[in-house]
Amino acid sequence: MAMAHVPSAEEERASRRIPTSRYYIVWIALLALTAVTILVARMHLGHGFGLVVALLIALTKGSLVALFFMHLWDHGGANRLVLVTSLFFLCLLLGITLLDNASRFPLTNPPNTETLRWSPPGPDILSPGVGAHGTSSRHEPPREHAPQEQQ
Amino acid sequence: MRAEARVAAEAHLAHHFPNLEQQAHAARLGMWLFLATEILLFGGLFVAYGVYRFLYADTFKAASTLIETHWGALNTVVLISSSLTVALAHHEAEHGSMKKAGLLLLVSVAAGAVFLGVKSIEYGHHFHEGHLPGRFYTYAGLQAPGASMFWTLYFLMTGLHGLHVIIGMGVLGLFGVLCLRGKFNEGYSTPVELGGLYWHLVDLIWIFLFPLFYLI
Repeated sequence: MAMAHVPSAEEERASRRIPTSRYYIVWIALLALTAVTILVARMHLGHGFGLVVALLIALTKGSLVALFFMHLWDHGGANRLVLVTSLFFLCLLLGITLLDNASRFPLTNPPNTETLRWSPPGPDILSPGVGAHGTSSRHEPPREHAPQEQQ
Repeated sequence: MRAEARVAAEAHLAHHFPNLEQQAHAARLGMWLFLATEILLFGGLFVAYGVYRFLYADTFKAASTLIETHWGALNTVVLISSSLTVALAHHEAEHGSMKKAGLLLLVSVAAGAVFLGVKSIEYGHHFHEGHLPGRFYTYAGLQAPGASMFWTLYFLMTGLHGLHVIIGMGVLGLFGVLCLRGKFNEGYSTPVELGGLYWHLVDLIWIFLFPLFYLI
C-alpha cells in the first residue's frame, strides 16, 4: 500500500512535460560546437592557447549533455552534487600531478632522467667508507655501497 | 498518469520504498554514484595523458597528425546523434509510447555499431602502420622519445571507451527489446532512464577524447 505523497518542488519541475524540441536544439548546438572545435584546430593557435580553446569547447559540450540529455537541469540536488564532487577530485588529481612535473627542474623530467644518475658535484659524503676527503668526481656513476676502499 | 498505468507501475515498487517517485529518485542517485566512479576511472587515464602530453608536447603534436581527423569527426557526430535518440527514447518511454522508445533505443544500438565499425577501420590502419604501444612501435616516420607513449594512451583510452560502447550497446539493446515487449510502462521506465544515463556518459567521455587525440 503506497503512502500518500506530496510532490516536492523538484518533482513538480521534473514531471512537467519537456518539449522534444529542447533535445533537437541541444543536438544542433553539439554538432555546431563540434564543427567549431575542428575549425579552431585547423587555425593552429599555438601550443597552450589551442588546447585551452579545445578544452573550453569540450566543457561546454559536456555541460550541455549533462544538463539536458542527462537531465541535471530538471533533477537537481544530490545528483548534481555527486557529479560536481567527482569532477572536483578529478581536478585535484590532475592539477597537483601536473604541478609536480611542471615545477621540477626540467632536466629531472623524462626523457632527461639520465641526469638523476649523475654523481652530485662535491665530495660524496653519503657512501660509507668515503669521507669528505674522498675523491668523488662529477660524471661517474654512483658508487656501490660496498666499502671497497677499506681493503 | 492514467489510473491503470499507475496500478501497473505499482507492481514494480519494492517494499522498502514508500512510493514510485522515491524509488526512482534513489535509483537515479545510485546511477549517478556509479557514473562518478566511471569518471574517476577515466580520470586516471586523463591524468596520465596530461602528464605525458606535458613532457612530450611536440611529439604528441606530431603523432596526432597520424590520426585521421575525419574519422574522429564522423564518430563524434554518430555518438552525439545516438545520444539524441537515447534522450528521445527516454522521453517517449516516460510518456507511454513504448514502441517508439524501443525503436529509438535500437537505432542507438545501430549507431554504436557504426561507431565501432569506424574505430575498427582506424585500428586496422594503425596496426598496419606500426602505430603501436611500447616496443611494438615500428613506425619509421616518427622516431622520437614519447612517440610510443602517445599510442599507449591512445589505445588504452579509446579501447576502454570502446569497451564501454559495447557494454552500452548491450544495455540499450536489452531495454529496447523489453520496451517492445511491453515490460515497462508510463509509470515505470527507470531502466530506460538509467541505461540512457550510461550512454550519455560514454558520449561525454568521447567529447573529451576527440579534441585530445585528433585535434592537437
